[in-house]
Amino acid sequence: MHGKDFVDSQPRTHPREVLEDAFRRFDRDRLAISFSGAEDVVLVDMASRIVGRDAPVFSLDTGRLHAETYRFLEAVRERYGIEIELLFPDAVEVERLVGAKGLFSFYRDGHGECCAIRKIQPLRRKLGELDAWITGQRQDQSVTRTELPVEQVDAAFSTPGRTVTKFNPLAHWSSEDVWAYIREYDVPYNPLHDHGMRSIGCEPCTRAIAAHQHEREGRWWWENDDDKECGLHAQNRIPAKAVA
Amino acid sequence: MHITFVKKVLASGEPCAKCRDVEERLERTGLISRIDRVVVADERDARSEGMRLARRHEVDRAPFFLVLNEDITTVYTVYLKFVRDVLGGEPSPGAELDEARELLRAHPDLDLI
Repeated sequence: MHGKDFVDSQPRTHPREVLEDAFRRFDRDRLAISFSGAEDVVLVDMASRIVGRDAPVFSLDTGRLHAETYRFLEAVRERYGIEIELLFPDAVEVERLVGAKGLFSFYRDGHGECCAIRKIQPLRRKLGELDAWITGQRQDQSVTRTELPVEQVDAAFSTPGRTVTKFNPLAHWSSEDVWAYIREYDVPYNPLHDHGMRSIGCEPCTRAIAAHQHEREGRWWWENDDDKECGLHAQNRIPAKAVA
Repeated sequence: MHITFVKKVLASGEPCAKCRDVEERLERTGLISRIDRVVVADERDARSEGMRLARRHEVDRAPFFLVLNEDITTVYTVYLKFVRDVLGGEPSPGAELDEARELLRAHPDLDLI
């Protein structure tokens, strides 16, 4: 990795401009939007206004999503006339996990192993084909995202000699901004949001929360977020020149 | 190439479990011979070399590796990625899953993707 690892020189750039910049700089077959089936649908809407039906979109189908989410993915596909590439976990890995530990091991062991199999490995395979990806991550979603830039070198998936760029066009948008966009442009949304689910993931790991709660509280609520054992009690900042 | 391994000592004086595990793996595989320096980040001493290196490179967890190559220092916080990318280590059975878990540990916001 050389030089500056994240770029945030225009931190208040409108998400649409960030997308336009991404599509201008990267070939369509080397760039894709990661769509979770939640309110990040605004990215799909914006991208379709820029590149039409060529918007490259993928979703991680963990096999544990809500039925509503599957229907929503299909509704988005039909509404925008786009292909949504579904990425599946390795069947052998899933069978091994479920066979050894059952269907709900994450309630006992934490969600790390299950997410690694159902999300991280398929994502890693996909990013091996890409030079850049686009996420719906926002700074207000989690304490680990407070310094999230609109563009960064992806420290997790870059390797020596191969840089993966990560765009976070919504980094500086609040949840309210996102919902204002959804209402203004009549963007379809996952009906689970109407049932108090602000952050939507796998069915067993998502729950409705009250209005005053942080959206992270609707996910993995049985776990302690702090990883005190490995923390160095330094400021939680994105490491420079880090590859993983 | 110059490689520094930074491991953490907890406030109790004990090494952190992850650091101990990584060090044992390095020794078991013989890769410890490729490490030029081992430095301690001591929670009891903010001025310890490891803590200073963590601050300088803006790393917030241990263990981690600093790889200096042609005047460029690269930080690795995922052990298996470091082994594969820097040391050219052979993947072992289950290594891919272990690496995915380590990636999640090092980048906890990935689970919200």
